[in-house]
Amino acid sequence: MRPENYQAVNHPPSNEYELNFGPNHPGIEGNYALKVKLQGDTVVEARADAGYLHRGFEKLMEDRLWIQNISLVPRICVPDPVPMEVCYSLAVEELAGLELPERAQWLRVLQLELSRIAAHLFYFGGHAATTGMYTPMYWGVADRDLLLDLFEELTGGRVYSIYNMPGGVRQDIPRGFLQRLSDTLDYIEGRLKDYDNLFFTNQIFVKRAKGIGIISQEQALEWSVTGPNLRACGLEFDVRRDDPYLIYDQLKFDIPTEHGGDAWARTLVRRLEMVESISIIRQVIKALPDIKGPVRTPIPNPLAWRVPAGDSYARVESSKGELAYYVVSNGGDKPYRVHIRGPSAMHAVQVLEKLAVGCRVEDVAQTMFSLDACPPEVDR
Amino acid sequence: MSNTDLSNIEVNQKPVAKRSNPFANVFNELVSFCRSRSMFMLHYCTGCGAIELPPAMTSRFDMERLGIQPMVTPRQADILLITGYVSIKTLKRVILTYEQMGAPKYVIGICSCTVNGGMYWQSYATAKKLDEYIPVDLYIAGCMPRPEAVIEGLQQLMAKIKTDEANSWKKYYEHYDYYLGNQQHLFGNNWQTPTDIIGEAKTYQLEGPNTLGEHTKILESVQRPLEPLEMKL
Repeated sequence: MRPENYQAVNHPPSNEYELNFGPNHPGIEGNYALKVKLQGDTVVEARADAGYLHRGFEKLMEDRLWIQNISLVPRICVPDPVPMEVCYSLAVEELAGLELPERAQWLRVLQLELSRIAAHLFYFGGHAATTGMYTPMYWGVADRDLLLDLFEELTGGRVYSIYNMPGGVRQDIPRGFLQRLSDTLDYIEGRLKDYDNLFFTNQIFVKRAKGIGIISQEQALEWSVTGPNLRACGLEFDVRRDDPYLIYDQLKFDIPTEHGGDAWARTLVRRLEMVESISIIRQVIKALPDIKGPVRTPIPNPLAWRVPAGDSYARVESSKGELAYYVVSNGGDKPYRVHIRGPSAMHAVQVLEKLAVGCRVEDVAQTMFSLDACPPEVDR
Repeated sequence: MSNTDLSNIEVNQKPVAKRSNPFANVFNELVSFCRSRSMFMLHYCTGCGAIELPPAMTSRFDMERLGIQPMVTPRQADILLITGYVSIKTLKRVILTYEQMGAPKYVIGICSCTVNGGMYWQSYATAKKLDEYIPVDLYIAGCMPRPEAVIEGLQQLMAKIKTDEANSWKKYYEHYDYYLGNQQHLFGNNWQTPTDIIGEAKTYQLEGPNTLGEHTKILESVQRPLEPLEMKL
């Protein structure tokens, strides 16, 4: 029965159909929405609808002490929180002129790479689910949990570790940690073969992902695509190598690239990056016992810590792309202005809107997951 | 906020009279048991707490052994998990989703942000107390709660459902004026959802003295026909 206030709406005849894709939708990553216009089952127009997760981070950070912001920043990108802390700390250290002890630098690299593996495991689990394969998701998330256990042992927090602070890291590693880390890495490296059979070379996935959401190299540079998505277009650029921070210039690692720039290439780049990250952590495990010294440069009373006036810019390579912080201080006990350059804001809005056009409707979710965009970081 | 605090008010529930027919009692108990053992959880990640749900659902902690599975449509779901902070824009969708779900429905507030705003207590963009806009059955505190805590919370909800105690959804009908007033305070006086809550309250015979009031009068005065394809949210 129709409600009393029902009135039929007359629309001009059209073969276009408007579909709200999200926010309450299993094919969307997080709390995010797309408004797509369909003709048959081909997308003719897509508009991103962000803002569901907006909390006003940049404003909140102006209202808290330098040291309090450390607990706020990891919330910006939930699946990959460590680069947020490290990047903010690097910016504040540059501003305050704090010298970072060598051991703290190695420990930060250890965390960054662990976080990268965890984020990639989580990412391809989600990507597999959009193509209808749930086993890689169940396995990937369960294996990521082993890494979260290591984080918990090292820092006390499973997801948000809040382990880095301006001047270094909070404490040294627990006894026997490196052995357990090494065992877990062996296990995950052994699992990669299973993942290859199950997911990366599985024809169900390969046939669906090839040729979906192609980005050419020129387009990628024009749309400011960064990180694994850029490397999937064949351009070898990585902040870790080209603008080294911490001790990345002392480490040996390759930068995997792929040609094609489609969803398949983007997935493969991440698969190869996991191997590189494991090798980086192995180098850290080997070198760490010989590096002695403190893990933290003490800072003055954090409740009344005044950072000298000036501005600084720090950038790191997160698992999603290039992440940067621009911090301005006017000599007070709180930041005057913080600007965050997140990779997902570009990937999920301007790139996704263009890539979705011409896709079939069932491939929209796959395109979004292959870009590995992180909605809380888009909205901030 | 517009009205008094509702958090201490009990649901005005008539005690379920034991029927003389013993089979009816057994049947009611059986229904409650089955209801607690087959719950569909709405697949809606509203905030950062959603990152601990995949571990809770998948191989390691395995929520499915408790009979809980994700469900994609609100009309077939039983549990609405609010995982973390709700921004104003999300809250509109949350209320819309909640009203679409069929009774009995249960709301769980995960993370500290649903209790009192948590980390974002001074943010201009988030709603601080979820309880002011929709009734909540259970809170799981923590930033963020571990998968074990989530599963423990769900087990407590199951125990409550088994004994017919989880009936905060009745509170929404009985005190609709209060919830509507808070929603109007946030979204403006022309706030309107497609669901006819007052009509539903009459159908379910849950209309109480607080269902209608000054705020429902405002709603009646601004109510206009819905434009099905173009909902202005």
